[in-house]
Amino acid sequence: MNTMPYLFSAYLAIWIILAIYLYSLWSREKTLREEVERLKERLESRQASADHR
Amino acid sequence: MTKIWAVFRKDLLIELRTKDTLNSMLFFGVVVLVIFSFALASLRESIRPAVPGILWVAFAFSGTLGLNRMFASEKENGCLQGLLMLPIDRGAIYFGKMLAATVFMLISELIMFAVTLVFFNLTVWHEIPYLILVFLIGTLGFTAVGTLLSAIAVNTKLREVLLPLILFPVILPILVNAVEATNIILNTSDYGALRLPLTVMTVFTIVFGTISYILFDYVLED
Amino acid sequence: MSRKIRSRFDTVLAIILIPGMALALYMALIQAPRESTMGDLQRIFYFHVAAAIAGMTAFAINFICSIAYIARRNRRWDSLALSAAELGVVYLMIVLITGPIWAKPAWFVWWTWSPRLTLSLVLCLLYISYLLIRNYIEDPEKRALVSAAFGIIAFADTPLVWFSIRWWRDHHPGPMLETGGLAPSMRPAFYVCVAVFQVLMVFLLRRRYCLETMRGDMELLERQSDASR
Repeated sequence: MNTMPYLFSAYLAIWIILAIYLYSLWSREKTLREEVERLKERLESRQASADHR
Repeated sequence: MTKIWAVFRKDLLIELRTKDTLNSMLFFGVVVLVIFSFALASLRESIRPAVPGILWVAFAFSGTLGLNRMFASEKENGCLQGLLMLPIDRGAIYFGKMLAATVFMLISELIMFAVTLVFFNLTVWHEIPYLILVFLIGTLGFTAVGTLLSAIAVNTKLREVLLPLILFPVILPILVNAVEATNIILNTSDYGALRLPLTVMTVFTIVFGTISYILFDYVLED
Repeated sequence: MSRKIRSRFDTVLAIILIPGMALALYMALIQAPRESTMGDLQRIFYFHVAAAIAGMTAFAINFICSIAYIARRNRRWDSLALSAAELGVVYLMIVLITGPIWAKPAWFVWWTWSPRLTLSLVLCLLYISYLLIRNYIEDPEKRALVSAAFGIIAFADTPLVWFSIRWWRDHHPGPMLETGGLAPSMRPAFYVCVAVFQVLMVFLLRRRYCLETMRGDMELLERQSDASR
């Protein structure tokens, strides 16, 4: 029996799993950075309106 | 010691008055047994090897129900805060609840076992003391870690639904060994082989009883 | 650790990893001698077992961090514990997927209740439970405390599960996945793969930990901004 397809799919599976995880890390980081930016803007605008008074 | 007894007595008395938990545990356990009878009907006579597994699955499911009720009712009625404000060592609460749960489970198990004998046409006589020993140690192991996990689950957003999810992977050693031990008793007569599963279950109970006793404090902190 | 040193260390790790992974692939697929009974299929073993070892290391890290959190109540331990648990699950997924791919052509069954595979399954369930618990508790301190408790329980359970599975397997024998000893000529490939997976784990752990620290900081900021309103 030719076992190469199985060998190939095993290693492919490993790469796919790791790639998915790395992608998930990257996309979570992106979302988080956007959240931080939004939060900063919110705080700054509130600070600005407090300064005005 | 008396504090443990006090918590234990309280749970027992409440239960005796309403019999809520016991009834639902029993009913659910019997329902599970019925479902298994139907599901495995095609096995007919050769179902005997499957009986230990069926029995302990029913015990585990009904036991989970009981564990859920134990903390859920306290949380619903706001009694949890009250219980925590008492000048009792949290460990005493743990042991009291654990003992109460064990008693409830044992009562349901014995009745469920009688039902199993009827459903699956088994006769047991001199196996009974060994079976009771296995039920006892298995149940103690179950409640040792189940009490802690129930306290955890009840304080989450999912409440009681979380308990089966987090409990079953942890008590796998108990289930595996209890089923094997019950199998040894019911289907073989090699009682010497009982020593290993019983030892593992006892070790499990002691280890997790200790760990749960220590961690119980932190889990109920507010 | 200052930002600069931290990111420099990450760069160093990345630089080690890229040729490292290539080396591991080469060792496993080309350098290692062909096994007599299973042929080239056996080469799955190198990454399969390396992943299992890395997963177990991750869970051991989670155990230590859980104890450290309960003792110190420092948020960092909790972040590290979470990162380790997540990584462990990822690695065990690799084990659980490569296992059946290996088993099917070798023993004609997709799943063998072999000790390592079964333990990987149970551990996966245990630590997914850990992640689940974290999902459903809102208060960060309570969440950290409770998951630390569960992390301790999960790790303490592992030897008992392993022992029970081994003994249960003796009663219900079936096709085996574990190969006995490793031929000396195969050892270099094996060690390289294990080492590379460990380095990869450290790299991913640091990334995840950074992410978690950032997320925790943001959560704190949000709470502060809500409170100051």
